[in-house]
Amino acid sequence: MKNISLFKIFILLFISNFFESLLAPFFIILNIIVPITFLVFSFIVYSSRTNFNAITSFVLGIYVDLISDSFFGLNAILFSLSSFVINSYSNTFKLFSYLQICVFFGISSTFYIGFLNLFINVQNFSYPVLFVSFIFNTFLCLILSMSKFYIPKLSINNRI
Amino acid sequence: MARVAPTTRSKILYFLCLIIGSLLLYIDINYKIFEGVKNNYKSALITSSYLAKSIMIDPFVHIYELSKTKSSLIDQNKKLKRELDESYLSNFIISRETKFFSDNSSIEKLLDFYNFDKVFHLSEIKYFDSEQYFCCDQHRLFIQLVIPSEKNFIGSPVFNSSGIVGQVISDSGLKEVMLLSDSTHSLPVFSDDYFCNASGTGSPGLISCSYSSLIWPKPILEGQKFFSSGMGGIYPRNVYIGAAKNIKKIDDVNIKFDIDLATDPLKENNLAIIENK
Repeated sequence: MKNISLFKIFILLFISNFFESLLAPFFIILNIIVPITFLVFSFIVYSSRTNFNAITSFVLGIYVDLISDSFFGLNAILFSLSSFVINSYSNTFKLFSYLQICVFFGISSTFYIGFLNLFINVQNFSYPVLFVSFIFNTFLCLILSMSKFYIPKLSINNRI
Repeated sequence: MARVAPTTRSKILYFLCLIIGSLLLYIDINYKIFEGVKNNYKSALITSSYLAKSIMIDPFVHIYELSKTKSSLIDQNKKLKRELDESYLSNFIISRETKFFSDNSSIEKLLDFYNFDKVFHLSEIKYFDSEQYFCCDQHRLFIQLVIPSEKNFIGSPVFNSSGIVGQVISDSGLKEVMLLSDSTHSLPVFSDDYFCNASGTGSPGLISCSYSSLIWPKPILEGQKFFSSGMGGIYPRNVYIGAAKNIKKIDDVNIKFDIDLATDPLKENNLAIIENK
């Protein structure tokens, strides 16, 4: 996949944040949290040809903090951490199967949800929500990665 | 093409970003110095959504209206559109089974019921983050007076036709209302001879109290009614708040229970701000 320009990433994150805020009230009824913005960012970093800069990740995190009305620095930390981990294991991912990569994204999204809840929703922190979200997010990634085989026109030319 | 693993220099940069991020997080949580930036962003978003609607959608609606021959139908459409615009809340419209275009009569009735002689100002909900309300601890509402006033309403209680909704915490243009269920909110309540400071749980429609059975030997029962005690000096006394539920023993002595709030902030579009002074 080609590297996306920073402006396009800003727009993509804004749109994904909009959809996240639209879908969140429906998903939370089923004890599921889908961090669409984080997953989109992780996918951009993962599919980028070159390593993602720390400062870019940090600035994008601050931007998401602003548009999602969360504490400043919260998403910045998590986005920086996520891009660091993905950059570090970018070559190792090539040895992984689709399932393993999807499980990795599921785990990282669960970590993201857990860390976020510790700050913005500590009184309603729930392990069942984390567990159900992990399973759902992993399956969501699997479905997206399978779409490459079943709907080739819609797929992005990269793994996941 | 293989990607290069992070070098020592980039690792240091990541580490620095984490430190700066943690610092920002600490400052925001403890001192809230970024509230202004966030509020400016929100107001810019609301304004731009209104502008976009008025530029992109309204002209088409206008042309459509012009194409209609029956003038009475056009007048009726305009009236309905104006009323819809007034009740438009960002991307969220409250339209439950209760009447959609409520007026102040229901609120007046409630205030008369409690014999309040204070002046109240009718206001409308302008922005409500339903996602924050259902998922998180911070429960806030942004309202605007129907008839603008120069008075400062910070600390003033806010009512709807069912009772207390919350209190005004910020009065810069749009008034920010902290709802009773916000986790940082505290409301003095009583029932018979039992008093407590009920704090918001962060869950919609619930506040919670705890007490020691050594101090209050009489047990709290499911469904027991709670009223505002007026002790904080913010809210008036004797307003019905809600009924007790989920009574749990924390240990041998301490007991915690929730109060199911009688008011639902999603139910009505019109609210009343009571003048404090």
